[in-house]
Amino acid sequence: MKTSIAVLWVLAVYFFILTAVYTVWSLIDTNEVEWIGSVAIGLSGVLSMFIAFYLQIQLKNQGGVLPEDRLEADIDEGDPEIGFYSPWSWWPLVIAAGTAVAFLGLAVGFWVSLYAIPIVLISLIGWTYEYHRGYFAR
Amino acid sequence: MTTTAPRPTVTETPQGLSNARVAKKGNVFVDWVTTTDHKKIGYLYLITSFAYFLIGGVMALVIRAQLFAPGLEIVATKEQYNQLFTMHGTIMLLMFATPLFAGFVNVLMPLQIGAPDVAFPRLNALAYWFFNFGSLIAVAGFLTPQGAAAFGWFAYAPLSSQTFSPGLGGNLWVFGLGLSGFGTILGAVNFITTIITMRVPGMTMWRMPIFTWNALVTSILVLLAFPVLAAAMLALGSDRVFGSHVYDAANGGAILWQHLFWFFGHPEVYIIALPFFGIVSEIFPVFSRKPIFGYKTLVYATIAIAALSMTVWAHHMYVTGSVLLPFFALMTMLIAVPTGVKIFNWIGTMWRGSVTFDTPLVFALGFLISFVFGGLTGVILASPPLDFHVSDSYFVVAHFHYVVFGTVVFAMFAGFYFWWPKFTGKMLNESLGHIHFWVLFIGFHLTFLIQHWLGVMGMPRRYATYLPEDGFTWMNQLSTVGSVFLALSMIPFFLNVYLTARNGPKVTVNDPWGFGRSLEWATSCPPPRHNFTSIPRIRSESPAFDLNHPELDLLPAVESSPKAAAGAKK
Repeated sequence: MKTSIAVLWVLAVYFFILTAVYTVWSLIDTNEVEWIGSVAIGLSGVLSMFIAFYLQIQLKNQGGVLPEDRLEADIDEGDPEIGFYSPWSWWPLVIAAGTAVAFLGLAVGFWVSLYAIPIVLISLIGWTYEYHRGYFAR
Repeated sequence: MTTTAPRPTVTETPQGLSNARVAKKGNVFVDWVTTTDHKKIGYLYLITSFAYFLIGGVMALVIRAQLFAPGLEIVATKEQYNQLFTMHGTIMLLMFATPLFAGFVNVLMPLQIGAPDVAFPRLNALAYWFFNFGSLIAVAGFLTPQGAAAFGWFAYAPLSSQTFSPGLGGNLWVFGLGLSGFGTILGAVNFITTIITMRVPGMTMWRMPIFTWNALVTSILVLLAFPVLAAAMLALGSDRVFGSHVYDAANGGAILWQHLFWFFGHPEVYIIALPFFGIVSEIFPVFSRKPIFGYKTLVYATIAIAALSMTVWAHHMYVTGSVLLPFFALMTMLIAVPTGVKIFNWIGTMWRGSVTFDTPLVFALGFLISFVFGGLTGVILASPPLDFHVSDSYFVVAHFHYVVFGTVVFAMFAGFYFWWPKFTGKMLNESLGHIHFWVLFIGFHLTFLIQHWLGVMGMPRRYATYLPEDGFTWMNQLSTVGSVFLALSMIPFFLNVYLTARNGPKVTVNDPWGFGRSLEWATSCPPPRHNFTSIPRIRSESPAFDLNHPELDLLPAVESSPKAAAGAKK
């Protein structure tokens, strides 16, 4: 966790420095700020910082070093409950098909997108509640 | 503390969910389209992207045939020629190379960190279907009366506007790529989460295989670059369909598009390069019988390349005359440093190793040679005075084919030959593999080496024909002949796949190469549904090697109570 945080902080700091360098350099060279690049690099820095910051909070909240970050950890020190993994699901295919119809409609004629609305709505509900109710409830 | 509760190792099938559903032969199709297994989704990615590689390759062959002699009309109209090179670029970059990254990472990364699956299995499937449907929409332009998009794969404004490129093909291209871009972003989120949270105990970040490191860094790059593409695409779509004026040339939209596109486009080059650097970094140590040389410098180099690649985009825009030339020239040339570090590391890995020239290593060497050539011309192109002369010429075409083909295709085949036993449980044939390599290698260099000189002599890219007086004819003919060899090299590969599937002996051991290092060689070929029945202790970056070669005694002595020792040390 610490390493990933460090990597993202390094990226963030690098992007912030480069935003300053790029902005100032173009100001000196061309007498105007090149807004697209300055904003884009700056936002790349914000995104890296955002993930680093979130991971830092997680690190603080997890209380101590996790076995995957300890050099001497054994396999059986891991959490025995490795989580629930969906065995198979129709919903990704259906959501993607619905979204594809919506995008296709944007390209060929907006009325096609209207047909996508029920597909996307139903499949979103299906995806969300797939493992919470009915036959497959856990 | 000493007693541990017995833990069930076999997941019980929930009531009413019998395995009969999958066991029926007719349900194979349903099994694949509803799968949430990271390996199967990975295979779907690999198969789909390879199909697009073949489609894009056929387009390239038609382009090369058209250029065989001056004044040919193999392609009926110039407009169709424009469609061909546009879709060739789009398919190769966004429907072949990028999903190929997702495919390799999907299959291998969870195996390499000892995870049972990726963090979000259904999201993983969704990402694949977004990519699949998005790509289908983008290539569906060929079925429309006006044909597919024809404004080049970087869709410069205002050429890509409804005024200059009317028709459905362009709309389909824009929205198809938008959808497929969302798939790539979701895939990257999944990979980052998996690598950060699902490593097995003892698998610290600095013990991850280089491939997994590169997958992590690439996914971060995807997060930084692809949202820009998606936003730029949707804005272009709104210009084309709803008549907005985001990329109106009157408001500087032409430069805006170029900035946004290349702010995605340059990191994209590294998105499709870094994972393949990772593949060869896995292969060199195994066939040199040595650990990777300079593990940490390789990781630092990867991070440095990723960081630098975000700040070099405008070297694609030198000839616009409105970018900060010294800044981008400096940053671009700086990338040569970490890349050079990597090349030294790969050579250092083989240096004084017991090298055997098995097919994966031969392909990795083919990658190394081609990529170094491409890197050298890259430094030339990074220099603005030189770039002004060869920009948009065949020199650039030769350069990026050396970089991208050299990396993606050679490393892809290296990866296929290397991990085929892990994928299918059968080893590909070595002799056919070597034939495949040599035909591909010779064909590739025949096709593209000559294009450097073609560009220097002044042949522009994307022209449908040329005049006999230009003096390009024999060079183009050589290039076209080379492309035929390149295409023929697929025959031994397919023959190999077919014969292996039919007659190949089954692999019964975990590590058929004998010197596999990372964790995927510590499970069966192919691995079970959730990857491992048991995981070895992890004390270095090559746990499978430590497990299979205890005679080398590379591990620190096993303490009587490792947990106590760990506690004492802390």
